[in-house]
Amino acid sequence: MPMEQPTPPMPLADPLSDFFWSGAEQGRLLIQRCQACGTFIHLPRPVCRACRSFDLAPEEVSGRGVLYSFSETHKPFHPFFVDRMPYLLAVVELEEQRDLRVLSNLVGIAEPDVRIGMDVHVDFERLSPDLTIPVFRPAAGKAA
Amino acid sequence: MTDMTARRVAIVGVGYSQVGRHTGRSERHHAAQAAVAALADAGLEAADVDGATTWGGDAIDFAWMLGMGPLRWHLNVGVSPAFVTPAVHAAMAVASGACEVSMAFRLMMQQPSSAAIAAGGSALQAPSLVDAQFMWPFGDFSPTQWAGLLMNRYLHDSDATEEHFAQFAVTQREYALRNEDALQRKPLSVEDYLAAPYISKPLRLLDCDYPCDSGSAVIFTTEERARDLRQRPVFVEASALSAVRDMNFELLPDMTRTSPAHCAEVLWSRTDLGPADVDCAQLYDGFSVITFQWLEALGLCEPGAAGPFIAEGNTRLDGSLPLNTDGGATNVGRRHGANFCIEATRQLRGQSGDRQVPDAEVAVWANAVGPFSGAMLLTSG
Repeated sequence: MPMEQPTPPMPLADPLSDFFWSGAEQGRLLIQRCQACGTFIHLPRPVCRACRSFDLAPEEVSGRGVLYSFSETHKPFHPFFVDRMPYLLAVVELEEQRDLRVLSNLVGIAEPDVRIGMDVHVDFERLSPDLTIPVFRPAAGKAA
Repeated sequence: MTDMTARRVAIVGVGYSQVGRHTGRSERHHAAQAAVAALADAGLEAADVDGATTWGGDAIDFAWMLGMGPLRWHLNVGVSPAFVTPAVHAAMAVASGACEVSMAFRLMMQQPSSAAIAAGGSALQAPSLVDAQFMWPFGDFSPTQWAGLLMNRYLHDSDATEEHFAQFAVTQREYALRNEDALQRKPLSVEDYLAAPYISKPLRLLDCDYPCDSGSAVIFTTEERARDLRQRPVFVEASALSAVRDMNFELLPDMTRTSPAHCAEVLWSRTDLGPADVDCAQLYDGFSVITFQWLEALGLCEPGAAGPFIAEGNTRLDGSLPLNTDGGATNVGRRHGANFCIEATRQLRGQSGDRQVPDAEVAVWANAVGPFSGAMLLTSG
């Protein structure tokens, strides 16, 4: 009997946040934005915390940002990640708005070379036939 | 005292269950042991208790099981800043007159190990699965991982180094050697800390509290009632709860000045006492960076200076500010904040034995970090 390959944890079927994952599937980073006052909102919510408008819609962002913090995971907490040790978690502040942060992975760089404040840009990684996630890489030609 | 409360409130009884690793005893069993110990400590009967609150299990269930009096006040606390939430509410219930004698519980059963989770069949929990979907696909599951993010940012923002974190672990263990109830009692060196494996680099194993099964209970009542009981009363001078964002630690706007900074402002606004009056501090160490944040938030050291402050020996028993004098949860085991309340109480009673801070009259204890937190200032008179 063939070994069953562990599958990645899947997003919920959630109407409020489906756009984020379908966007990643198409290679686009989409963030919820208030259509009344222009505030970006992440994680998605039913209401804008800046102006209380319910008129919210996903918009594509540049994918450029700055690394706010990172850590390197050395212990797996899910079967899918056992063979991916160690890997980098990254908190990225997107350039569109102060404090607009996303939790993602940092790829294409070794942990000792990572610097808080470095410029990063989005890329997309297919974890399984059913799941593509946005990840971040150091911005080309820009050392921190 | 400029507290919002009407009646002055005292802590009159504290108790633990038989804390240990994989005890095999149920949550109810731990609750019962802790409650019985706290009642005996206070010299109260179960029937005297007319208010109950818990995080973990169910307050009404515990009260009935233990034969407590009909409850005039009860509250089950959900995800919140550890034991300080039921403690603050239990104190407020007495202060407001909602009840006369309240018991606050925290039950904490040991979580599955990383190895068990990685093998499948066990899973970590999340406050919101809707939000967790923005973390889990990136391999972000465990509080150790947001703690690694906070610690890295803290190392960037402050004067701290990993050697300072090692000194913190060593100092905590020195206290544990003076506490026969601690679960970790082997001497620890800076080298031992640095040799411990990373969990979420820069966070090492010895930056984490020690998983165990624990039950803790603390009894609050009025000053008047407290005068007739077994122990010297310890008074609630002021308390504060704080929340500054939702439960996504990873997305905190400022990972170094988090909820404790706000909580400390609120706490100090409710008392005429100040940081210089504190004789000992009992500050949450679920991850060591949390204690560092609290030292700075409460004004017990300069901003960014917690690392050097600890490395210089200030937090030792003979230092200017004895800290986590029971050894902290890294050594007494994960009691989710309750040990800080109980140790602060024992210090102010003068019952801390080999680790007693001489003439301790004012103690601050505090729980949690990031989105939310809480703190309580206690006095002996």
